[in-house]
Amino acid sequence: MLETKLQGEQLILDAEKAIYWPRRKALLLADLHLGKAEHFRREGLPVPMAIRTKNLERIDGLLKKYIPERVIFLGDLFHSLHNHSWTVFCDFLKKRSTISFELVIGNHDILTDADYQEAGLILHEEPYLQAPFILSHHPQEEILDGYYNLYGHVHPCVYLEGLGKQYMRVPCFHFGKYHGVLPAFGEFTGMAKMETVEGDRVFIAVAPQLATETGIIKQVSF
Amino acid sequence: MTGKSGLVNAPTGSGKTYSLMVPILLEFLQQTSPKDPGAKNNGLQVIWITPIRALAKEIKNAGSRAIQALGLNWEIAIRSGDTKTSDRTKQKKKPPEILITTPESLHLLIASAEYSKFFKNLKTVVIDEWHELIGTKRGVQIELALSRLRAKCPALKTWGISATIGNMEQAVEVLLGPEYKDGDWEVIRSKVKKKIVIETVMPDEIERFPWSGHLGITLLPKVLPLIYQSKTTLIFTNTRAQCEIWYQRLLEADEDLAGQIAMHHGSISRELRNWVEEALHTEQLKAVVCTSSLDLGVDFRPVETIVQIGSPKGVARFMQRAGRSGHQPGATSQIHFVPTNSLELIEASAIRTAVKSQKLEARYPYIRSFDVLAQYLVTLATSEGFEPVSTLAEIRTTYAFNSVSDEEWNWLLDFITTGGPSMEAYEEMRRVGFHTGLYRIMNKKMATRQRLSMGTIVGNSSMNVKYMRGGKIGQVEEWFISQIKPGETFWFAGRSLELLHIRGMDVIVKKSKKKRGKIPSWQGGRLPLSSQLSEELRQKVALVSRGEYPDKELKKIKPLTDLQAHRSLVPNENQLLIEYFKSREGFHLLVYPFEGRAVHQGISTLMAWRISQLQPISFTIAMNDYGFELLSDTEIPIDTALKNDVFSTFHLTEDIQSSVNSVEMAMRQFREIAAISGLVFKGYPTKEKRVKHLQSSAELFFKAFADYEPDNLLLLQAYEEVMSFQLEEVRLRAALKRIAGQEIKLMRPPKATPFSFPIIVDRLRERLSSEKLQDRIDKMRLQLVK
Repeated sequence: MLETKLQGEQLILDAEKAIYWPRRKALLLADLHLGKAEHFRREGLPVPMAIRTKNLERIDGLLKKYIPERVIFLGDLFHSLHNHSWTVFCDFLKKRSTISFELVIGNHDILTDADYQEAGLILHEEPYLQAPFILSHHPQEEILDGYYNLYGHVHPCVYLEGLGKQYMRVPCFHFGKYHGVLPAFGEFTGMAKMETVEGDRVFIAVAPQLATETGIIKQVSF
Repeated sequence: MTGKSGLVNAPTGSGKTYSLMVPILLEFLQQTSPKDPGAKNNGLQVIWITPIRALAKEIKNAGSRAIQALGLNWEIAIRSGDTKTSDRTKQKKKPPEILITTPESLHLLIASAEYSKFFKNLKTVVIDEWHELIGTKRGVQIELALSRLRAKCPALKTWGISATIGNMEQAVEVLLGPEYKDGDWEVIRSKVKKKIVIETVMPDEIERFPWSGHLGITLLPKVLPLIYQSKTTLIFTNTRAQCEIWYQRLLEADEDLAGQIAMHHGSISRELRNWVEEALHTEQLKAVVCTSSLDLGVDFRPVETIVQIGSPKGVARFMQRAGRSGHQPGATSQIHFVPTNSLELIEASAIRTAVKSQKLEARYPYIRSFDVLAQYLVTLATSEGFEPVSTLAEIRTTYAFNSVSDEEWNWLLDFITTGGPSMEAYEEMRRVGFHTGLYRIMNKKMATRQRLSMGTIVGNSSMNVKYMRGGKIGQVEEWFISQIKPGETFWFAGRSLELLHIRGMDVIVKKSKKKRGKIPSWQGGRLPLSSQLSEELRQKVALVSRGEYPDKELKKIKPLTDLQAHRSLVPNENQLLIEYFKSREGFHLLVYPFEGRAVHQGISTLMAWRISQLQPISFTIAMNDYGFELLSDTEIPIDTALKNDVFSTFHLTEDIQSSVNSVEMAMRQFREIAAISGLVFKGYPTKEKRVKHLQSSAELFFKAFADYEPDNLLLLQAYEEVMSFQLEEVRLRAALKRIAGQEIKLMRPPKATPFSFPIIVDRLRERLSSEKLQDRIDKMRLQLVK
């Protein structure tokens, strides 16, 4: 966990690739890509059953840690058309009906309204304004005065380089002047290099590999 | 032949087809003839298996001539992927006496209804070019098909035709299976011996010749006169990318060659390759730049000279290539070796000695390839079904599967019927069902799927390059084309092509006039130096260490080895050289076992892992055929490591498998296994799936299996294949044993040495770390991305 200020708001960045916003009691997650396992399966690649529950276990951990009132997904919640994973996800939400689960629609979110109703999700078209933030899936071009855009979609990462020709690719939060991007929460996702300019703030986020670890969330200087 | 099985040992293109065709026909005459030698419709008598379709026609012609000469009325036909459906139906209805086919097409026959009836008169199976098949999974396919044919036709004879390999006896054992144990077989050796003359193309000044690199363009001006000296020249390169580059550079260097030279490699379309082969036959070409794609196949009589660019890495391959010239009986084969860097001059010297002493490489057979077995069982289920007890007994008669346990067998049956423990929920994993004593395919859809996905050759996801008006040029890999935008130009198959657009798996192009463009490369590892050649190489280095320079190659390289001796050491056969020094990049540790890159991959991983057990440390690893480098950002505790016996063979397998690389290698290996065993279905023809994003996620799938079903036989197979074929465990153990008897010479040169330089500049690196993620990240700095 790491506290930071953005647009005058206090935010908590979590190594599990999530933002907790205490004032609104809201947890922000981007790019879960649930159901991608089945999607792969249909494309002819095998994925064992057990791997699919991992994303939900991680969300559950965050819910217990922060006790949020709202969970807002910044798009690409579900990777494909309706499949078995959606039913599992709906059950997961129903068991936690005291929390408001909300989705800002992204390009992969192609389920039907009935499907979203089944899950009891509240839907938002982008841009979704929650002052002082504009929440969206894609980066927004128009930023209202006094607002700041938080988005997902790109699955950001940075390269770290060391001596001895060593390098690593690490997922990150990237905060620019008007835009901030969240790392992809989902397990089955690729990453894209972020271009960085003077004045940007970058926080690497590495989820714990083992139950005994805490994960890494820290600002990198350059 | 007198009812026996056996093997004919003869080099490619020495009339070997007749050596079996004639006795087979004579035997038929003896047994049935007095009555009617001209009898028609005798049923299928002979199956002739060839690894390459291109050879089928030649075998057919030879067979037809033999049949005619003996006055028989036999029909001889080809059945391969190119055979029309109507012809196939005709063959099924009225079988020819001799059927020439490929391993894949034979399996397809077994997957078709009423195959027992089709094979019922079968007397002999001939496996041509067995040396090409034995070290591959296609060899395993043949073993399995033979096990079924032997069960159907108990008097069946099996004959192989093979060039000489290092493990001839084992080749017979694998081919003949149960008949080998009976001892009633023979090997017939051809007496034809070819004389080979090797000429090294020498750089003028060794001081100006590069220390590293594999392209060899520096010596191109010296190759040009060779082309003009002879009627036709084959120029062998080691990779397809190198082939493309050489072709282009030859044309740039000498415009008169335009229209007189051509290019031939495995990614160029069949049509274009056929054209090149035809032009070679009819003496229309002065030279062809090619890859291993022309190692095999029909003989090109006009070829007088062979040029080999860069080390061929193996003695047998070099001799095979040399043998592509000088076809007249008694003629000598001419081969010119073009070194691509200084140290390859030592290899040139080594290869001459190895050819002289006929030290040929062994081709080791695959064993326990459960992916192939799973595919085969579904194949059996697709046609007449299989009965488990007798089928298991049949399978255990093969060399590959004689050790299959009951548990493993049951796992396989479970895998093809349900998908196995972790895949049970998927309907498309339920391929086979058990009914009234037989395992049979579930439904028509599964049967179609099976027929489409049979085979053991798994390509990278490649895309077809085509002209807008049709006309296939060949195939490039998806990752390459993704770097090129519409409107940009790339060079492929010797043409400058402008990318118009991409449609599904098709890359549509038009001709371009631009002189420069990206040149594709294809994945597929560099071949490691064979153990025969590395042994020879070590002896040459030892000669140099004693100041002996018996041939012109070693004499030429003397200034360089002198520098090596000055800065560090040239080791003799009883010494293992290790160099340790610091540079701006970090701490370099170089070790020179001279064992080939496959073995070096194993030893370097092992060494890095063992050192990392002494203290948390991160390495990047690079290697070539002479040695390897461990590079670290901190001081490497080399003295402690040597004291702790870092090269010991104790716990070797466990230590290798604990290291990061073996996991990554197994993951890559797993892709092929998943495709062969039927876990992955690539789609129906014309609807093939784009697999780029799927492939890049292979890591995740593999890890998932490792986490949730660690005893999955296919997963274990991936590890075993890495150990035996990529890391060459047998060689690795032998190398470590050799090192154990050597004196270790730890040198601390002030800077990079001639031996170390080519390794240090290698950008392809593997990584190994025992540091905590947190600690590694702490030491790194954020790099602004270019």
